[in-house]
Amino acid sequence: MRILVVEDDAGIALGLRTNLQQRGYAVDACASLAAAWTALCTEPFDLVLLDLGLADGDGGDLLLQLRHARKALPDPLTPVLIMTARDQVADRISGLNLGADDYLVKPFDLDELEARMRALLRRAAGRAHPLLVHGELVVDPAARTVLRAGEGVELAPREFTLLLLLLESRGRVLSRQQLEARLYNWQDAVGSNAIEVHVHHLRRKLGEGLIQTMRGVGYFIPQDERA
Amino acid sequence: MTPASLRQASLTRRLLLWVLAALLLVWAGFAAVGWRTGVHEAGELTDGQLASTAALMLNLDLPPFVEASRETARAVIPSLKNHDYQPSLSVLVRDAGGRVLARSGDAPLAPFSEQAGFADLALGTPPALWRSFSQWDATHARQVMVLVRADERDELASDVAGQLAEPGLWLLPAVAIALCIAIWRGLRPLQALSRDVAELEVDKAERLQARHPYREFNSVVRSINTLMGQQQASLERERQLASEVAHELRTPLSSIALQAASLRGELSPAAREQALAQIGADAMRAGHVITQLLALARASRSDLQQQMQRLDLGALASQVVAGYAQASWESGHTLSVQGEDGLEVLGHPLLLELALRNLVDNALQHTPRSTFICVQWGRDAAGAWLQVCDDGTTAGVAGEELASHSPERLGLGHKIVSRVMDVHGGHFAQIPAPMPFTRCYRMVLPLIP
Repeated sequence: MRILVVEDDAGIALGLRTNLQQRGYAVDACASLAAAWTALCTEPFDLVLLDLGLADGDGGDLLLQLRHARKALPDPLTPVLIMTARDQVADRISGLNLGADDYLVKPFDLDELEARMRALLRRAAGRAHPLLVHGELVVDPAARTVLRAGEGVELAPREFTLLLLLLESRGRVLSRQQLEARLYNWQDAVGSNAIEVHVHHLRRKLGEGLIQTMRGVGYFIPQDERA
Repeated sequence: MTPASLRQASLTRRLLLWVLAALLLVWAGFAAVGWRTGVHEAGELTDGQLASTAALMLNLDLPPFVEASRETARAVIPSLKNHDYQPSLSVLVRDAGGRVLARSGDAPLAPFSEQAGFADLALGTPPALWRSFSQWDATHARQVMVLVRADERDELASDVAGQLAEPGLWLLPAVAIALCIAIWRGLRPLQALSRDVAELEVDKAERLQARHPYREFNSVVRSINTLMGQQQASLERERQLASEVAHELRTPLSSIALQAASLRGELSPAAREQALAQIGADAMRAGHVITQLLALARASRSDLQQQMQRLDLGALASQVVAGYAQASWESGHTLSVQGEDGLEVLGHPLLLELALRNLVDNALQHTPRSTFICVQWGRDAAGAWLQVCDDGTTAGVAGEELASHSPERLGLGHKIVSRVMDVHGGHFAQIPAPMPFTRCYRMVLPLIP
């Protein structure tokens, strides 16, 4: 899952990047509205963590601009979580009215932030249930655990995220470029066959029939007919 | 109404008491004057009656009076109450030697006296008081004395005085009730105003409505609304300040929490070092905010007004700027001072230094490297001024460097400067920057008279 952090405080941006990366997210950080808009226009992000008081303007302006976007990028439906030190009720109402999906006041608990992020990602994927169930596979995004026929399966962070992306897009093919864009941030060095390697590992751990390849297009997990 | 409010003095009650007391006083005066007038007039009437009877008798060629046993009793006249106005007159006629020529009525025989005119005589046994009038005829051969009982005269006086005073007795309570109602009704606008004032809530930005049209209330309503406005503005300022302080403290605390969380996970040695350094920097930043808050609290103390002294603005600016030499060199800024020599103001040295340090701090922290920062001072019609200008620009500056320009970060420092200026009776504002600067913040202080 790729997250864009829009935060002008270097310490908070660094802390968020480090912590979210440790939890398996691909994180990019921007310190200004202009840089954030450029990032949103060039890369697909699953979620935006937005600070309000930025050097070149108010984060609310970026939110408005995003919600009124007309082209494919940026996606106007990208979930946005406002994280700010403004704790007045009026600020929260105003932020949510601008189109934010959630609002968190600094300082916040990292686990709470991640829980809210997961809820937003789940909502964006059209799911209400916190667990992803596919046949005999049960994936818990919060606990980052995978059960196959009731047995736990150990997955590396990127493998887990890749599985999550494919499960959330069941029935739709995701190209290698799309998967790379959502698995890696700008700083990550991506090998030419990185996705193939992750898919190979997933097939080995979860069974050959789970992830299907559409040659020249990408990968997909078919819809579970029993569901 | 609570028992406490019942015990409290009431303007309505006070007004009622005063009006009733005044009414009672006026009524008592009226009754007293009426009584006295009644008594006086009754005496006059009686005397007039005595004199006219004497004159009448004197000019008659009197036949001998009838025996007392054959005298006709007074006739009952129904329209006169108890014969009050028909006194029992006695007549005594004497010759020049005092011999009684004729006598009528039940008055005891009065001693002979040559003297004519009115007299009060005690006659009979036991003695009773009589009012008499004596008059001689033109030849001084015959004297006529007419007498009436003094208590009859007094009864008449009481009756007349009572008739005069009686309407007042009935009117007093009626007037008092009417006055009470009038006062209660008349004070209703005041009670409504009082109720509205009691129901005002500062937090809800309320105002006294224009439903108090009486001009006597104009100044009160205006003053209360002005006070409410000031109070609301003050609350809003405090809210903004609290919000800014919260922001200033929450940002480094959030960063510290995030770095601490990341240190619990797997980190490369370099990342670990970076997280630790960031924690240190954030802790220092939070400490700086607390120092600023303390300074703000000190700047709000009113007794600082009494510790003012003459200060050379140039010396103050040079001293502050000299203290930033190392910091500006490290951050790549150029600092300078400029202004007229010997310009003095009346100020509190520590507070003015604190204000100037805040402005220089802001300029250093919120402008990119190579920015030129100048502390200037001078005077104009508004007073003596001290300003910090910089030529910092955001054009072409990388995002990371822009990060420290956030306007929210300026808030607390500027609040402190504003408070310091309030203590000095001056003001603080951003002014249009003169060339080649792009930003200028000016403190204006009163000139020494």
